[in-house]
Amino acid sequence: MTTALRSADRPAQPPRPRTANGLARTLRQRGRRRLLREDFLTVLAWASGAAAVALYLADGGAGQFNNLTTATTSIGIIAGLVGTDLVLVMLLLAARIPLIDGTVGHDRAMEIHGKLGKPALYLILAHMVFLLIGYGLADRLNPIAEGVSMWNSLPDMWIAFISTVLFILVVVTSLVAVRRRYPYEFWYVVHLLTYAAVLTALPHQFSEGQLFAPGQWQRWYWIVFYLVVLAALLRYRIWAPIALTFRHQLSVTRVVSAGDGAVSIELTGLRLEELSGAGGRFFIWRFLAPGLWWHHHPFSLSADPVAGRLRITVRNLGKGSAALTSVRPGTKVAVSGPYGLFGHAARTRPGLVLVGSGIGITPLRAILERAEFEPGEATVILRASTPETLYLRDEIAELCRQRGATMYELVGQRARHGNPWLPRNQTGLALSDYVPNLRASDVYVCGPKKWTDAVLQDAKSAGLSDEQLHHERFDW
Amino acid sequence: MRARAAAAAALASFGILALGWQAGAQSIEASKVVGVTNSATGTAGSASSGSAGSPGSGSSASSGGTTAAGGTTGAGGTSTGSTGSTGSSTSGSGSTSSGSQSSASSGLKNGTFTGATEQTRYGLIQVQIVVSGGKITDVQTPQLTGDDMRSDMINSEAAPILRSEVLQAQSANVDTVSGATYTSEGYLASLQAALNSAHA
Repeated sequence: MTTALRSADRPAQPPRPRTANGLARTLRQRGRRRLLREDFLTVLAWASGAAAVALYLADGGAGQFNNLTTATTSIGIIAGLVGTDLVLVMLLLAARIPLIDGTVGHDRAMEIHGKLGKPALYLILAHMVFLLIGYGLADRLNPIAEGVSMWNSLPDMWIAFISTVLFILVVVTSLVAVRRRYPYEFWYVVHLLTYAAVLTALPHQFSEGQLFAPGQWQRWYWIVFYLVVLAALLRYRIWAPIALTFRHQLSVTRVVSAGDGAVSIELTGLRLEELSGAGGRFFIWRFLAPGLWWHHHPFSLSADPVAGRLRITVRNLGKGSAALTSVRPGTKVAVSGPYGLFGHAARTRPGLVLVGSGIGITPLRAILERAEFEPGEATVILRASTPETLYLRDEIAELCRQRGATMYELVGQRARHGNPWLPRNQTGLALSDYVPNLRASDVYVCGPKKWTDAVLQDAKSAGLSDEQLHHERFDW
Repeated sequence: MRARAAAAAALASFGILALGWQAGAQSIEASKVVGVTNSATGTAGSASSGSAGSPGSGSSASSGGTTAAGGTTGAGGTSTGSTGSTGSSTSGSGSTSSGSQSSASSGLKNGTFTGATEQTRYGLIQVQIVVSGGKITDVQTPQLTGDDMRSDMINSEAAPILRSEVLQAQSANVDTVSGATYTSEGYLASLQAALNSAHA
């Protein structure tokens, strides 16, 4: 306990820089290992889809393609199996498993999760349609009459039809156009129905599905797959947040203005030194006060934890964030995380470039505080439309002075020509004009989506590869 | 997706699919072999061993044709334990009536004959025939169970179709019911076993 306290009391020291070569080698190895893990996970995901089909073929499905009826049925079964596989992969991607999070990052994982949604739904619908046609052909019924007959004669089938409806509901409410029209909470509650959809799909798989029948060894593959997904969800979505909340026992100490429309919320808690180095990565916060507790907010730390205190800086972007500006001192806070790859673990090069806009500047401060770099190897670019929204500017300027980083403040209206992420008075310039060692740097970008994309585009045209680019969406 | 990941993922996926296909093809081959030996041992068990060679060939029409003499020697073949009703008015009436009515002698003994129980991919099937006047007059399935409800449904729909086809063709040489291939194959294999014991 005493040692823990002492390390917490110690002012945040930047990590001792290794020799320039040593750092470059360490970062390169780390990056290479991460890419290897990413490739491995990619292969695993594709292999699971192939395995779903292969298990069916091995069960004799290979001999089912010689006439129209059985071929239609087989296609229906395969669509259902691959669809199930996709749903399980999607659940794993959303389970916040550290291996996945630390390899592809939360943003990317959720992006892939989102991309799989529609294909999974199409496969489930194809499963239904093809089987109705296939079974209908075998029974000499039209597909609708076959559906009615199955609904009536097979006890688990109406539950499976409900499952299909739930899946449609979940995917449709997640379409960007639809999602924008409703509050986040509505989408969230509907999305929870995914679990109901998966559960209601289970009975018919085990009572009707040939592969899931007792005595089929393929049954065990699927049972184990389901159990792994269930375990991952329980461990990382339910247990991890509870454990972290009780471990740190955070409560709000004060809320101070941090400039135009933004506040810094300072919190105290136990064992906060364990969260040191999480700068840039985000935590999910839940302020346990009436009217607030059921909102959760993804925020990064805006300062590395010191002496039992930590700080986040938020702007009233939405209804939920606005309510936070009036949160009372003493409010208990539930927390989980840190998540995402927007941090030190993603570094691959000795140079460091931090580019932030508006409230997106705040996580850069925490990164800068603990990042490993040689003096002169780091560049911080702050972008805002007015000087008042250069949040935490003074703190960052002081850190840059101490650590030997170069800082630029780019204030003003957006440039009409050239790079759109720059202000008008910098028209014609590019990222490489601010950063001499850009090619040997990692670039961290945090800000509104379009602006972020413009910075990343600029960096790419300067010849940087994907592994050097790191970004965090801040508007979700 | 990175090129390395894409290549490895494609390779792994194709490998897994090929393995699955291979395993599936092998298990289908294996089940065919099992099916044949099942019916062979089934007939050997229930009928006299003299005809044990013929069920392997499987086609009932030809075997029925060649064993025209079997009808007359039928009295000697009452060794089948399970068919209790063979005793009464055996060969005489059977051979004469069928001989006079149908041009091709069926060579079947009168009585009830039960085929071996066939294990298909989706369940168990056993077929029983009633022969009267040298003709198959009824086909029953003492055992017809599916591993799951879908299979039960398929079985219960395929069985009447197969029954009427068999009564029509008077042999196991009928089309399989589409959508019920496994059920049909099991049904006809068991039927063949029953026919073989009726021939003996």
